[in-house]
Amino acid sequence: MSTSPENVIVTRNLTKTYRDFWGRPKVKALNSLSIDVKRGEVFGLLGPNGSGKTTTLKLLLGLLFPTDGEVSILGRPATDVSKNEKIGYLPEESYLYRFLNAEETLDFYGRLFDMPASVRKERTRELIKMVQLDHAKRRQLKEYSKGMTRRIGLAQALINDPELILLDEPTSGLDPIGSRDMKDLIIGLKERGKTVVMCSHLLADVQDVCDRIAILDGGELKVFGRVQDLLKDQGVTQIKTSKLPPEAMKEVEAVLQKHGSKVMEVDNPTATLEELFIKTVRESAARPGQRYIPPSN
Amino acid sequence: MQLSFDPRPFDLLGGLKVWGVVCLVVVALAWGIAGLLMFLQSGAPGLARLIDLTTGLIRDFLQTSPRRVWALAVHTFREAARKRALWVFAVFAVLFLFAGWFMPELKQSPDMAIRNYVSFVLRTITWLTIPVVGLLACWGLPEDIRLRSLHTVVTKPVRRQEIVLGRIVGFLGIGLLVLLIVGSVGYVWIVRQVPENFGQVTARVPIYGELRFLTREGKSEDEQGMEASGVNVGDEAIFRQFVEGNTQARAIWRFEGVDMNRLQNGQLILESTFQSFRTHKGKVDQELLGQFTLVNPKNGVRVPLQTFFNREFRRNSYNVTERNSRGEGGKLELKDEQGRTVDLAKDVLDGGQLDVEVACLSPGQFMGMARPDLFIRLPDRAFLTAYGKGLFSIFLMLTMIVVLGVMSGCFLKGPVATMLTGFIFLVGRLSHDFLQQLTSDKLLDNPKLQMRGRGLLESLYRLPTHLGPQIEVEDNTTQRVIKAIDNIELNALWGVKYLFPDFTQFDATAFVANSFDVPWDAALLPNLATTIGFCVPWIIVGYFALKCRELEAK
Ligand SMILES: Nc1ncnc2c1ncn2[C@@H]1O[C@H](COP(=O)(O)OP(=O)(O)OP(=O)(O)O)[C@@H](O)[C@H]1O
Ligand SMILES: [Mg+2]
Repeated sequence: MSTSPENVIVTRNLTKTYRDFWGRPKVKALNSLSIDVKRGEVFGLLGPNGSGKTTTLKLLLGLLFPTDGEVSILGRPATDVSKNEKIGYLPEESYLYRFLNAEETLDFYGRLFDMPASVRKERTRELIKMVQLDHAKRRQLKEYSKGMTRRIGLAQALINDPELILLDEPTSGLDPIGSRDMKDLIIGLKERGKTVVMCSHLLADVQDVCDRIAILDGGELKVFGRVQDLLKDQGVTQIKTSKLPPEAMKEVEAVLQKHGSKVMEVDNPTATLEELFIKTVRESAARPGQRYIPPSN
Repeated sequence: MQLSFDPRPFDLLGGLKVWGVVCLVVVALAWGIAGLLMFLQSGAPGLARLIDLTTGLIRDFLQTSPRRVWALAVHTFREAARKRALWVFAVFAVLFLFAGWFMPELKQSPDMAIRNYVSFVLRTITWLTIPVVGLLACWGLPEDIRLRSLHTVVTKPVRRQEIVLGRIVGFLGIGLLVLLIVGSVGYVWIVRQVPENFGQVTARVPIYGELRFLTREGKSEDEQGMEASGVNVGDEAIFRQFVEGNTQARAIWRFEGVDMNRLQNGQLILESTFQSFRTHKGKVDQELLGQFTLVNPKNGVRVPLQTFFNREFRRNSYNVTERNSRGEGGKLELKDEQGRTVDLAKDVLDGGQLDVEVACLSPGQFMGMARPDLFIRLPDRAFLTAYGKGLFSIFLMLTMIVVLGVMSGCFLKGPVATMLTGFIFLVGRLSHDFLQQLTSDKLLDNPKLQMRGRGLLESLYRLPTHLGPQIEVEDNTTQRVIKAIDNIELNALWGVKYLFPDFTQFDATAFVANSFDVPWDAALLPNLATTIGFCVPWIIVGYFALKCRELEAK
């Protein structure tokens, strides 16, 4: 598989069929997914429940083996263990050890990276502070609330200062301030040159932080591209000026009329991601199996 | 006070050879089957994947990080501690508190009492630690996978064998800690049970010899030209053979490496546990009379010793030096058959080999002997040494169980893993002798010792044709084919036998309880070899299972 250095993740025809105990196909969770994620970007995976987002992430991590197709992540196959040195993963539900407290958790995962004790201690302190669990760092995780568990999950994903961070619904369960912080964190990571892949249902968040997105439905890729391009409506031209006096406005309208156009709205020209998302999913339901191409492109 | 089995030195090289052969066969079979399946499934790329897996094994194991293994081990330990799995061991302490009430008081026979206490302690420790640590090992990984906590671990740079090894080391740590604690409790308990007799609690160190017999005519071969054996007095098991009184019949032990420096204060002590078999009553409480003759096979010096009475069911300790001391100052005085005075060190033990001939002097009575029934007693070791070695044997068995449990957990769910481990343990514990008999190398190779009507097919042929086992089947092509197929079966059985470790061998109770030291070459070495021999392949199986397993698709 050709991987250029700026492509952190490349998938080609990635397909996953879950099988039952006897090896009979049960669910086709992902069908022929081909995407690539570039170094330094924030990539969003969107889609309704059960559309295959988590499956995709697990395939990337080698937790699942593809039924067909190929994955390359940081230039290595998904099953290569050494790629994990530079990856951080926040699972959908926090699969952590409930009998450890926050400090022990981070220390344990730090040890798995063979980090020296001093670095481990320092990182643990920093991360606990960052996710604001200082007050609860000595309590066992089984006593944590959902949001607190998400926070410690995020901290463990960042313990090795990874280059590529995979976040499965990072904001689920977080309070508004928590999600705000999460967004800031993602932008901060991007500024430091890290690559972030995230799944989310909070479209406003995705719209704010993601450079590019893919929308999945029923395991199929429906939309794939830059957020700005996808949301730009080519049928509309937006003119932004300083405030026009009414007579100038009339003249502009006259000019437009001469060219057969008319003013539709004097405001807010881009669609929201929410509209795109809903449209995509509706279209996909109407014409199953087809890639939905937004009218603009 | 006697061993009912024969502690023979372990043949390490021979064991290694068998191990190598079995491993090769298993690997070849596994490779063949896996290759075929993968080829059928995905053609040439399937084969490539198999090769990839194999080279990956070597690469992965070379990159094992001890620190990660340690981190995982500590984690395993902590998990067990936090989940309070170890409270079970409190039961142990309670058991001891009350056991004293139920143990029979054996004031009249301190030997017996000590034996009872020691066996009780070692058995209790075994049967308490094995199930608990075994269960922990069988459930550890499957639970980790079920709760998906292992998934976060495998997204870190952790290799699969590190997970397997980390688990094993962690559980072994638990096992070791528990063994040390309950072992100490047990030791203190034994000491407190037998305060006045504690001097007798010791660890005897024997030198065993090779045993042969002379017929009642004093010949080393019988009429059929077979090697002479003792008389079978009608026991079904022929562990002991009997020497007839007042005849030329002798039992002769040959000891190697007997050296004055190794002896206890320069004293030659013979310890025996012969059986007496009476053909007529005589005086009922009269013990049988026996006599030792020391022979140096190198220079032919023969020294008949003072006679002895054989006390049954007890240790008979015959101190050659004390019993044959006369003259001024109780000096040892040995006379050879011609009546010349000889020196123990210079004449009798010269060359390091010593034959001890045993004769029964009571006419018409028999004395029964097996190889471990006579030994030269070297200086004792402390009882704690033998006890510690006994615990070490238990630890080795624990290691086997832990590795087996962790391996099963790599591809099975908790309950099934427990069942598999339990099954292999029980087969290895209960029916190893049976498998051994069915397939012992002797049976395969030596036609004289072959079971009559042996193989499956041959038996099927004999049954309807009413051919008794004594009659040989006629020698024709059909019969040869039948024999050939039967041989394959028996060889397969021979192979299967080696897949089930003999768990009985780890029980050192017989040594410790009978106040023997646990020998290195007859007990610890084979135990260690068995443990390593089984655990290495098991770890590799676990690694493969975990590697090829799609953790997420449960
Ligand atoms: N272990 C599994 N066994 C069988 N089917 C599974 C398994 N995991 C997921 N699936 C199925 O695969 C499909 C995709 O699931 P996936 O978890 O990838 O969805 P998702 O996009 O992450 O959804 P959500 O937004 O709810 O998290 C679903 O139909 C789901 O039922
Ligand atoms: Mg999901």
